Amino acid sequence: MRPRHVVIIAYVIAVALFIFLPVVMLVLYSFQDGLVPVPPFRGFSLRWYQKVFENRKLLEAMGNSVIVGGLSSAVATILGFLAAYGLARSRPRGGNAIQYALMAPITVSYLIIGMGLLIAFNGIGIDRSLLAVGVGHVVINLPLCFAIAYSQLGEHQANVERAAQDLGASDLQALVLVTVPMLWPTLIAAFFIAFTLSWDEFVIAFLLSKFDVTLPVVIWNMLRSGLSPELNAAGTLVFATSIVLVIVVELLLARGRRHG
Amino acid sequence: MAEPLVQLRGVVKRYGSTVAVERIDLDIAAGEFVVLLGPSGSGKTTVLSMIGGFTEPSEGRVLIGGEDVTEMPPARRPKTTVFQDYALFPHMSVRNNVGFGLAMRKVPKAARDARADAMLKLVGLEGFGDRGIHQLSGGQRQRVALARAIAVEPKVLLLDEPLGALDLALRRQMQEELVHIQKRLGTTFVHVTHDQEEAMSIADRIVVMCAGRIEDMGPPARIYLRPATLFTATFMGESNILPGEVVEATSGAGWVKTALGTLTLPGQADIGARVNLSIRPEQLLIGRAAEGTTSLGVGRVTETSFQGTHVRARLAMQTGDNTELLLRAPATAAPTAGSEIALSVRPSDVVLLRA
Repeated sequence: MRPRHVVIIAYVIAVALFIFLPVVMLVLYSFQDGLVPVPPFRGFSLRWYQKVFENRKLLEAMGNSVIVGGLSSAVATILGFLAAYGLARSRPRGGNAIQYALMAPITVSYLIIGMGLLIAFNGIGIDRSLLAVGVGHVVINLPLCFAIAYSQLGEHQANVERAAQDLGASDLQALVLVTVPMLWPTLIAAFFIAFTLSWDEFVIAFLLSKFDVTLPVVIWNMLRSGLSPELNAAGTLVFATSIVLVIVVELLLARGRRHG
Repeated sequence: MAEPLVQLRGVVKRYGSTVAVERIDLDIAAGEFVVLLGPSGSGKTTVLSMIGGFTEPSEGRVLIGGEDVTEMPPARRPKTTVFQDYALFPHMSVRNNVGFGLAMRKVPKAARDARADAMLKLVGLEGFGDRGIHQLSGGQRQRVALARAIAVEPKVLLLDEPLGALDLALRRQMQEELVHIQKRLGTTFVHVTHDQEEAMSIADRIVVMCAGRIEDMGPPARIYLRPATLFTATFMGESNILPGEVVEATSGAGWVKTALGTLTLPGQADIGARVNLSIRPEQLLIGRAAEGTTSLGVGRVTETSFQGTHVRARLAMQTGDNTELLLRAPATAAPTAGSEIALSVRPSDVVLLRA
């Protein structure tokens, strides 16, 4: 092996370690047969997972996260798709400006968005709640869902919709019978991407919730009373959920590419 | 003559300050196979799109079957379209693609499927109904697009360069089939292409377009052999264009002075007019002038290329002003490069075009 190759391989290993070591440590010590998630590793145990599933607060928060993530992602996907469809098909005057306005929140930090929503909700009398968190997650995920849907509404897709109208379909029939079924994998992918972002989003969820909280907020609360392998187990579950969703998204988008 | 099925009345299309179509009047008879032919940017696709209802004319009216459809949305016009990229529905079976238009017309499922299968048989895809679009080749998709468009029995079928993506052999075959299907159904076809050979082989009538205007219009043989304008003469295949001036004229003939001598041509001309003479390469005759032909002088063959059905030769004429002629000769009687040959032409084959 040439020295150049050795350097490259060493570099790749170093980068991989840098990226994956923290996650590997988190997962590994969730199986710790001991009271603290720090080296040395004392043996393999599932008791912390059992503890997670006995922890009512964690389970409740997990349920809240699923509800907030599911609903906010569905709303963001539907609104994002409709905005993209309207913009791509009716080409209104000032369409570009609307597009930039829709995409703008992506450049704003979650802290600013959270603060802004907190002030706004105060002003209109909406209390801090899961509803408020859900609205916050729609705000951060809408630009993404819009962009994903918009990218799929190009000239070929427009032609297929024209073909439907050419054969007598109304605008609504073309939308329901052709556009939505053709974009289905894309829309589901957008939904899951939004869901993963909502699933482990902390700042907005922390600022806008009060009694009912989402999973990242509960984990943060528990962290304040010190490290425990139980938290590792909860974190691993959060991480595993995200990984599964990302794989689902990849498969859906690959399917979309193959068929498109 | 009965009222034309499709009528364009003073149709104009502008995009901002660019004029895509310049005030066009066009009548298309029922049962006619019309080809809109022109280079890209000639406005032919825009004209098709205005008949289809996907582009709104800036001025003028569009009538189909005597009814003014200018304001009518595409879905309600009695026509269908075969799109350039086929625009099939990838999430539906072949049968459901073909039956889509019938479903929109609320035809019951059983009747719709039967009709779809009949249409598939007509386009040579019997038994393909259950397949997915992704299992089909390009040529098969083309046929499905055609079957889908004719399934609803439109008064007019619009075809937007439907054969562009097919290889040459398949394109020839589809051209023949299009003509057969059109004659069998009796439907009016309006077909857009930039391929003049395709236009000539399928059209009842060719409409030649250039820069948003209709340059010429007529049956293929007339368009090719007696083009009305210089553009048509050069666009409809290779032609020799000789600039000249009318030096004498009588009621039935004109004398045109060119670099290759003065030619006497039948037809009307004004003395002093600048004209162009168009001579197709296959109409040049090898040999000196004989009974009924006119001499074009002697030229040296500078290059030849074998084209299968004929040999194409380039000749430098002995006129001293670099006049070149293209000659198309049968492979068996082809001149060799470097040889000198005399050329002549029948005056009736020469087309006189106003410059």
